[in-house]
Order: sequence, then C-alpha cells, then structure tokens
Amino acid sequence: MSRSQTRADAALRAPSPLFDRPAAPAGILNSNKGFLRALGTLAVVLLAVLPFINATPYLMSIATSALIYVMLAMGLNVVVGYAGLLDLGYIAFFAVGAYISGIFTTVLGWPMWAALPMTIVACIVAGIIIGAPTLRLRSDYLAIVTLGFGEIIRITANNLQITGGPSGIHGIPTWSFGDWSFSDGFTLFGLEFPQRVVFYYFVAAVVVLVGVVGAGRLAKGKMGRAWKAVRDDEDAAEAMGINTYIAKITAYIIGAVWAGIAGQLMATHLSAISPNSFQFLYSALILMSVVLGGMGSTPGVIIGALFVSLAPELLREFSEWRFLIFGVLLVVVMLFRPAGLWPSTAILPWLKKLKPVPPPTAGFMAVPAASANEDLETVEGEETR
Amino acid sequence: MHTRTRTPRIRRALSIAAAIGAIIITAGCSGGLGGGGGTGGSSDGPIKIGMLAPFSGSESAFGNYMKNGAQLAIDEINAKGGVDGRKLELEVQDDACDATTSVAAANKLVTDGVVASVGGYCSGATLPTLPIFNEAKIPMVIPAANSNELVKQKLPGVFLINGTGTQQAAAAVKYAQKSGAKTVAAINDATAYSKDLADSFAQQAKDAGLTVDFNAVITPGENDYSAVATQLANAKPDLVYWTGYYQEGGLIVRQSTDAGFEGTFLVGDGSVDAKFAQIAGKGYTEHVLGTFTQTPDMLKGADKWIADYKKLAGADPGPYSTQAYDAVNVVAEAMATAKGTDFDKVVKALEGLKDFKTLGGPLTFMPDHTRSGGGFVIVSIDPSSGQFVLKDDLQG
Amino acid sequence: MQLIWNGLIVGSFYALVALGYSMVYGIIKLLNFAHGDIYMLGAFTGFATLSAFGISNETSIPLLLVIMLLSMVTTGLIGVGIERIAYRPLRKSPRLAVLITAIGVSFTLEYAVRQIFGPNPEAFPVRLESNGFAFAGMRITAAQIVLVVIAAGLMLVLAHIVERTRSGRAMRAIALDPQGAQLMGINVNRVIATVFFIGSALAGAAGVMAGAYYGSIDFLMGFIIGLKAFTAAVIGGIGNLYGAMLGGLLLGLLESFGSAWFGGEWRDVFSFAFLILFLTFKPTGLLGARVVERM
Repeated sequence: MSRSQTRADAALRAPSPLFDRPAAPAGILNSNKGFLRALGTLAVVLLAVLPFINATPYLMSIATSALIYVMLAMGLNVVVGYAGLLDLGYIAFFAVGAYISGIFTTVLGWPMWAALPMTIVACIVAGIIIGAPTLRLRSDYLAIVTLGFGEIIRITANNLQITGGPSGIHGIPTWSFGDWSFSDGFTLFGLEFPQRVVFYYFVAAVVVLVGVVGAGRLAKGKMGRAWKAVRDDEDAAEAMGINTYIAKITAYIIGAVWAGIAGQLMATHLSAISPNSFQFLYSALILMSVVLGGMGSTPGVIIGALFVSLAPELLREFSEWRFLIFGVLLVVVMLFRPAGLWPSTAILPWLKKLKPVPPPTAGFMAVPAASANEDLETVEGEETR
Repeated sequence: MHTRTRTPRIRRALSIAAAIGAIIITAGCSGGLGGGGGTGGSSDGPIKIGMLAPFSGSESAFGNYMKNGAQLAIDEINAKGGVDGRKLELEVQDDACDATTSVAAANKLVTDGVVASVGGYCSGATLPTLPIFNEAKIPMVIPAANSNELVKQKLPGVFLINGTGTQQAAAAVKYAQKSGAKTVAAINDATAYSKDLADSFAQQAKDAGLTVDFNAVITPGENDYSAVATQLANAKPDLVYWTGYYQEGGLIVRQSTDAGFEGTFLVGDGSVDAKFAQIAGKGYTEHVLGTFTQTPDMLKGADKWIADYKKLAGADPGPYSTQAYDAVNVVAEAMATAKGTDFDKVVKALEGLKDFKTLGGPLTFMPDHTRSGGGFVIVSIDPSSGQFVLKDDLQG
Repeated sequence: MQLIWNGLIVGSFYALVALGYSMVYGIIKLLNFAHGDIYMLGAFTGFATLSAFGISNETSIPLLLVIMLLSMVTTGLIGVGIERIAYRPLRKSPRLAVLITAIGVSFTLEYAVRQIFGPNPEAFPVRLESNGFAFAGMRITAAQIVLVVIAAGLMLVLAHIVERTRSGRAMRAIALDPQGAQLMGINVNRVIATVFFIGSALAGAAGVMAGAYYGSIDFLMGFIIGLKAFTAAVIGGIGNLYGAMLGGLLLGLLESFGSAWFGGEWRDVFSFAFLILFLTFKPTGLLGARVVERM
C-alpha cells in the first residue's frame, strides 16, 4: 500500500480509541508517574551514597532505625491505607517478629536467616488468629479490639519465661551466612565496611525491595483493587462479588508479615528487645506516621515514617514535649488536611495547569469536498497532532 | 509517534553513572567510609562523660534526679581543678527507657566523643547499649540499672554501683531472720528489676529455712490491688517484701492493712521515697520498713549535700541522685589514678578501687564488677516527716 | 465473698466511665477514645483546686462532695469544648478520621497534664477514712460504702434524666434517627453538647472518687480505665445505659475473680480476652438490641 493510499484510507476510517489516541504525557515533569519514579531513583541513590558521606555510629544507627520504621509504616499502610482497617495493635506483629527471631537465635541457636521463615510463618498465624474473629466487626470496634490484642501480646511477652520476662532477650546475634557474619565487616576496593554499614545496606535493600516495592506492586494488582473497593464501600464491594472477608484478612496478614520482618531486622539492630518497646504508644506512633503522610500513598507514608522516626532524634532537646506535640499534630492534621501530607490522590501542582489533550477528530471530519454529502460540515481549525 | 526524547535505556545508564559519580565524589568526605575522621578522644581539652537516662516516657521522673546528681559531682570536681588538669563535661541523652531510643542515644554519645558512661536506669534499655559502649572502648559505671543480665554479660568495662538484686534480697532475708519472721511472702510488679529482686528473695528465704507463702505479681499503673490485699490478709505471713515502686507500694500497703494484714511490710529500694508515706496515708506506715543503700540523710554532713543539690536543681533530690553523684566521682577517681582516659588503664583503676568513699558507703568492686556487700541497710518511716530513716544497719 | 465485694467496688468505677462512653456512642456513633482521659482530668482538677486552697490530708465527706461537684462541672465543660473543637467539624467525615482525631485528643490531654503537673503520681488531698468492719465474711470499709452510695446516686440521676426529661427524650430520638430528630425540631447540636457534658461529668466524678478512694493520681490513669470502660460498655451492650452499668459491675467481678485465680499480672489479659470473646460471639452485648444496618 502506498503512503498516500493509507492516508486516504485513514481519512475515511473512524478514529480507533486503541490505536489513534495520542500517547499519554510522559517524562519527569509532565507526569505523576515519571516524577515519582525519578524521586524514587534519587532516594535510592541517596541511600546508597549516605555511608560515604557520614558513617558515624550515630548516623548509621538512626538511618537503620528509620528504614525499619519505613518498613513498618508500609505494612500498616496496607492495612489502614489500602484496606481501611484501623489497627491500633499493630505493634503486636512487630513484637512477634522480634521475639520469634530472638528466641530462635538465642535459645535454639539457629542462624538469623533460618529464623526468617519462622518469623513469617508466626506472623501469618498471628494475623489469622487476631484477624479472624475481629475482621467482621465495624471499624470502631476493630480499633479497640486490636488495641486489646496488642496489649495481650505485650503482657504475655512480659510474663513468660521463654520471652525473657520483663528483661526481654538480649545477645541476639547478627546475620551470618555460613562462616561469615556481618560483624566481620567487608572490604571492597580497599574501603573497609564495618558491621553497621553492611547491616545498613542490608536493611536498605530489604526495605526498598520487599517493603516499598513489594507493597506497591501488591497495591496495583488485583488484591489492591479489591482493598480499595472494600475501603470505599464494603457493601458495594460485596455486591460486586469481592469476597470482602478474604480481602481484609489478606491485607491483615500482609501487614503482619511486613511488621514481622521489620521486627526481625530491629532485633538484629538492637541486639536486645524488651516488652517496653511494644506499648500501645508505639502503635499509635506508627499510625500517626501513616496518617500524617497520607493514607494509601507510598511517598506520603515514607515521608511520614521518616518524620516520626527522625524527629525525636533531631529534636532531642524537646524530648519531654514529644508526645504532646504528636497528639496536637494529629488532631490538627485530621481537622485541616485529613488526606495527609502527600495524599494518594494528589496531583502535583504544576501538572494541574496542563490542559488535557483532545483526541484528534479532524481526520474523519475533513471529508473531500467532492463527496456527495454537502450537509457534512467541514470543521476547520481543529487541532491536530 | 515518539514523544519521548530519550529511550529508557539511555536514561537508566545515565542514572547509574550519576550514582557511581556521586559515590566517587563523596568517598573523600571525612566521617564517611573512605574519608578519615574518627571519633577518638583527644588528649587535652575537656573530658566528656556521657549519661543515658529516661527523660520521656513512663520512667521520665527519674531522669532529672540522675542528671542533677551527676552534674553536682561534675561541678564540685571542676571547682577543685578537674581531673588531671582537665575539666569534666557532662553530656546527657534521653533513652526513654526504650531499647530503640537508647541504642540511638548511645551511638550519639559515642559519636560525640564521650570517654566514659555514667548512666543507665532501665535495665531493659541499658542492656542493648552494653555492646555499643564496649565496642567503642568506653567504660560504664552504671548507677541505677542492676539486673543480673548486665552482670552476666561479663564485659570488661561494665561496673555496677547499685547493689544487685541478689545482694539486696540477701539483706532482706537477713533482716527477716533477725526479726524472727517464720513465714514470708513477696510481691513484684512484673518489671525486670522488681521480678529479679522478688525471685531472688523467695529463693534465698527458702534456702534460709523460711516458709515462702507466695510470690505474687501485680500490674503496675492501676489503682486497685484488692486481690493481692485479700491474699495477704488470708495468708498472714510475718513479713512481705514488696519489690516495686512507691506509686503502687503505697497503695498496696494501705489496701492490705485495710484488709487486715498486720505483718511487716518490707519494701525494696524502688519504694524508698518520701512520697510512699504520702500515698499510703497517715497511720499506715508503722509496720513499713525498707531495704536501701545508705543515703545522704543517714550520713553525717549530708545536709550540706542536700542543700547543694537543691541549689543546683531547684528541687529535692530523689531516687538515684546519690548513685549518679557517686558514679561520676568513681569515674573521676579512676581517671585520676589512670592519669588519662585510656580504656584499659581506667578499667584497671576501677577494679583497683578499695573502700573508695561514696555517699552509699565505702566502695570496692568485686571481681564480677558489682559492689562488694551492696551496702544495704534497713530503713523505717519517721511518722512525723514521712521520710525514711535508718533503723538497722545490719552490721550486727 | 470478699472477691465479690472487691469486684463490685472496682466495677462501680468502670460503670460510671462506661456510661459516658455508651451515651456518646449511642448518640453520634463515636468511640470517644479520650473519655478515659476525662476521668483523669476530673481527678486532676480536683487535685489542682484543693492544692490551690492549700488543703491536704483531709478526710471529710462534705468537702469531697463539693470538690466532686466542682470537678464535674469543669470536666463537663471540657468535654463540651473537645466536642466543639475536635469532633463537630468532622461529623460528616468517615469514621476513621474521627477515631484518629480522638486518639490525638487523648494524647494531647495526657501529655499536657504531664507537662503541667509532672510525671510523678500525686497524692490526692482528700482521703476517705478506711475504718473497716466485718460483715458476712467480708471486710467493708466506710469509704467503700460512701463510694457505692455516690455512684448509685449518680446513676439514678442519670436514669431519671434520660427517661423522664425532655432532653432525655431528645437524646433517645437522636440516637434512633438523627435526621428525623432534626426534622422534628430538635436542636441536634445542643443535645449532643448536653450528652458530652453529662458523660464527661460522670467520668470526672469517677476520677475524683478514685482519687479520694485510692489516694494517688497520675497522668496515665485514664488510659487503662478507658479501655476497661469500653470493654464494660461492650459487654453490657453499647448504646444501652443500663447495659453500661451492668457491664461495669460484671467486668469488675470478672477481674476480681480472674486475678485471684490466675495471678495479678494476667488481669488485663483477662479483661481483654473477655472483650474479644464478647465481640466475637455476642457483639450486641448482654442488653443490647440487634441493630439493623441501614443501607
């Protein structure tokens, strides 16, 4: 077919939505997706470069803690942000992960990587135990019941012998693979990487790959859409054929596994855990980071998590005011910007000004004058791409 | 139709190149991996001493007591010329009685260049900091935390000023025998130190031939202890040992006395505070005794110390103010003997301390780095002032 | 027997606080997370007032009643204030938002009190005398009798208000159908404010009584009471006032027996386990009615 022939045919052919529409705007500044992707790449680069700028024990320690916190927040984001279940006892799963890995490595002597599958299994079981009876309840009841469960887990950990009682477990070893463990450090190109830096990279890799990317992928998939449907209107979702109970329990279990992995990482980071770290207060703080950042939005939740975990460090002089400020902040945010700092439905400010591109309609309207139909208007001046 | 000006492949290559470039550029930064920059202490200039204590969270009441006690010692030492001609400086960080915060705080102290640690209140929050300080070669003289787990780690630089639970329990058992008690009981509040102490007491009492009626646990932070009060009234032991804090202790003694308990109510050092009498109320404190280390008001000339403290802090001293004060003095003395802040020399000097005079009595460290004898005495409550005063120094 | 009496005493406190919880839930379907902290505020306003007058270590009952009334009014007003500032703007928002706000309010109250009064527990200036006497195998003290009488009195007053007066009818109407009630000319905002006032006043009264009975108050005392009160309200049937009273007493008894059998450290676990059991098998509670979800 010659080129002019195809063009003539094209003039007669109705515009097909699939093939003739203009490409979506792309590029870092022209599209939401491009911008987020660029931001993500930048963040990953910064993460990788951080130890080269400053590898002091303090910075590595708070950076690792902040990353683990991000993982926790991503998990809660799945439960609260995507599926809309207010879980006030989230820290219980964190505790389960930390304690299971702690017990297996100290009491039973297993290497840390072998404890990982046990942690995941334990969290799945815990998620089912806690979720099964309660997910049928309404949101207000669910909140208090999950709080109750959180307290039950904390008090049980406090009272049992195997969890070390109120002193908790200490002496938790770091990850080791065969003969080599993180504490041996690592030398590459003449640069020596001490344990804290190796562990920092490990945590960063796990958090970014499993925590952030994993959660994001789940949210975009079939499960994610089911969660959003359940969150928006549970009865309508049920009517559309979504098994809301399964959707909710899956969200719960995924949240539990995320928290469990974070717990195991934290147990390694601190080398000692005690029931004091698993009070309701800390559940509320994780919830706050999700709410402040923007429920259901990945960049928002990451920012929220970084804020909640790093602000106490940066504002160490005001440590006495910490919780009061958090309480007031929570009320203020819910009153004035309930969607959070970076809402999931946010449109970047400069993108709001872009005009939507109209589809091409000139093609089929510009019929040659020689055609029989004179009633057909020739629309002139239509924009073409 | 191409609307993009660069293919994804080129873009990816560019970003990787940018990353590698960033790494190469920053590799020279000091404090980073490739750069120099260490946190080693310098050999002149002020000596930095670090202290971790709770200033927020559930135990925040105790942070200021410890901070002010330590600061008082520092000011006194500096007024006398410091250690080896160098002034002392105190850096205090909040550990919020929580492992995560305490680890970050310990790392901060290490990064800021402290050469000794005189903090540590919650054992649960102090335990994770032990390996951090140990790796950084910083000796620790712990004024308050006294869980046996701290001792079990057997780290070279860790010393405990507060008598261990075992020693305190031994003092309690000694008094029980002395007072002719045949049956005893224990109550703890499910926190680390309290449970340790109660269990140790129960064990040692049993070994000494006393009958242990029960070892009960209560939940702190509540108001109603009628269950354990009823238990006491029914079992009627001659002596009961409460190992928790004054908030609950005052309530328990009141409720159990109301319920009909008439034996001796012995409390551990966490309850020895003037507020105990306030909470228990008038008329409930005659049969209350406590195990405690010697405090300023029991020593001669302690009024001056209390007055100095009040001038510095603007408030009365509280639990562990004296221990923090002692910890700083102990560290300063060791550094003076070691003529510097070198870890091995300071540790050796600490081990070599013999009968060093502290507010808590003469101090010698035992081979496991705990304090010899513990220095515990029995105190009772003065009905008019509500303060605990010395009753029996258990030396006889 | 003693266990039963002990349980009833503790249960009275739970019942008073649970009443406020139930009332607020009944009318605007909100679990006021900060309700337990109102209880704490009641104790602290009583403390502050008494300390301002330099009173300490008294045992007179009339003084206690006066302070209780003062605290009730103050906490009632504070409750109304909180509703106005934090909950009314969110009345049309999804429930999640209001719940989270309630958590924020709870934190704010707790730590504000901590900043003002310090983290240490304080001794309450008015203490009830605890001379006891034996009766049917139990030790009963005068303080406990006073407490039970006051609690019962308050509950009777509340029942009268809800059943007999116009405001009470208005409250029940709004609980049934808010829009219908508005159509009938009821000033919904005013009635909701009244409900908050009464509920908070009751919690405040409980706080003062707890201060006087137990003798020690601290800024975190509201948190666990709030949870227990919620459990009590659920057991009795949330939204039902008699259920709240019954639930409170029942929970007190359960706890008393539970800690005697299993040990004091499992006390809270016992209460929460009960909560979960009830919500799983009988979510409407003992006296609650089946609520039909309207689409």
